[in-house]
Amino acid sequence: MAELHKRGIVAVVACSTPFVNLGRIQSAQLGAPGLPLLVIPHPVGGIALDQVRERAEVFAAQVIEFVKGRMA
Amino acid sequence: MSALADLLDATGAALEAEDDFDALNRLYCEKGWSDGLPLVPPSEQRVGDMLAYWDRPLAEPVAKIAPRWGEATPVRLAANAVMAGCRPEYFPLFVLAVEALCEESFNLYGIQTTTHQCAPLVMVNGPIGRELAINSGHNAFGPGHPANATIGRAIRLALVNIGGALPGIGDMSTFGSPGKYSYCVAENEAASPWEPLHVERGFPEEATTVTVIGAEGPHNVNDHESVTGKGILTMIAGTMAIPGANDATLGGGEPVIVLGPEHAATVATDGYSKQDVKRFLYEHGQVPLARFSEEYIERRLKKRFPERFAAAGVGAMIPLVKRAEDFMVIVIGGAGKHSAFIPTFGTTRAVTRMLRRRDGQPARSVSELRAQ
Repeated sequence: MAELHKRGIVAVVACSTPFVNLGRIQSAQLGAPGLPLLVIPHPVGGIALDQVRERAEVFAAQVIEFVKGRMA
Repeated sequence: MSALADLLDATGAALEAEDDFDALNRLYCEKGWSDGLPLVPPSEQRVGDMLAYWDRPLAEPVAKIAPRWGEATPVRLAANAVMAGCRPEYFPLFVLAVEALCEESFNLYGIQTTTHQCAPLVMVNGPIGRELAINSGHNAFGPGHPANATIGRAIRLALVNIGGALPGIGDMSTFGSPGKYSYCVAENEAASPWEPLHVERGFPEEATTVTVIGAEGPHNVNDHESVTGKGILTMIAGTMAIPGANDATLGGGEPVIVLGPEHAATVATDGYSKQDVKRFLYEHGQVPLARFSEEYIERRLKKRFPERFAAAGVGAMIPLVKRAEDFMVIVIGGAGKHSAFIPTFGTTRAVTRMLRRRDGQPARSVSELRAQ
């Protein structure tokens, strides 16, 4: 994702809450400090399918807003 | 001005501070430069003493350490070795281990940042391990020997201070592991009935090597009753067959079977070569699919590994490795009827590196590695 971002291609990363710091540090270290981290509730593993769907909806809504913002 | 003084003169390379042990240690903790235990202040004098065992350029990084991808320069590594309490003669082996950890196939990024509890295990073979008195006998994985304690600790400090493996930021392990304080041992070659690990991995017997392994802690196998090789190996195989180990579902690692010398002697006397041991454990150390939960089978195994599990019935057996050769069999420890199993991160390959003199030949003594 960092490579795509650096090439100007729209890219986002889904990140559950405890991993946001790691994601920020990594994107900066990989030369893509502006790489958007879209935050979803933790945990992602070990949850029921309806909870997976909820997180996907949270993520999808953020992706749509992000893309709209890029097009505006 | 010396080469070291020149480097330390650069902005940010050194810190001026009062020579106050307690105040300095509070500072290290505040800065996140610590493993939580008191550290030896890395004064210019001590760092210089450490670098007496470095015969390559001081400013040239030997590796970049994930996840921060910090440059592991000799000076930074020497500072961490000092902080850990290493004696200067330990420095070449410590740096060799760092280089091995940073080889791509080891997957240090994954090992540093995972929620799993793995830590790099450094296994030493060869004469310089004996020269430095790296413990391979009683309590080898435990405390009491400066080389084991401080080389392993220096690696952890380098992973934190250069690599950025700060708990909850660059090191996301759910639990961590006692092995993250220090995890360094030597093989007890004198007590092994088989060829040592480094010879098996293609290095000359007179060479000194480090082998780094992305490992869980050792799981003990107590067997005071079996008097045959088959009996002991059956007990070890039973201990290995655990569904919660990453190896059971990822299968890309090289799990370690540590035979205590007494178990090894019984197994070898019954005619088992190392390869025979590996084949036996591959066949008998598999995990019955029935020991996984139905959800685990449906949601993970069948979806992530359909080629292996889509058609698998409850009677299916899951090997821990792709090939029997992927197991590592070593001999460590003192008297007693114990062996141990060390699972891995599952997506990591062990890396072995040889300690070389400037001319490329295997170093026979650490004195050959002093700067000219």
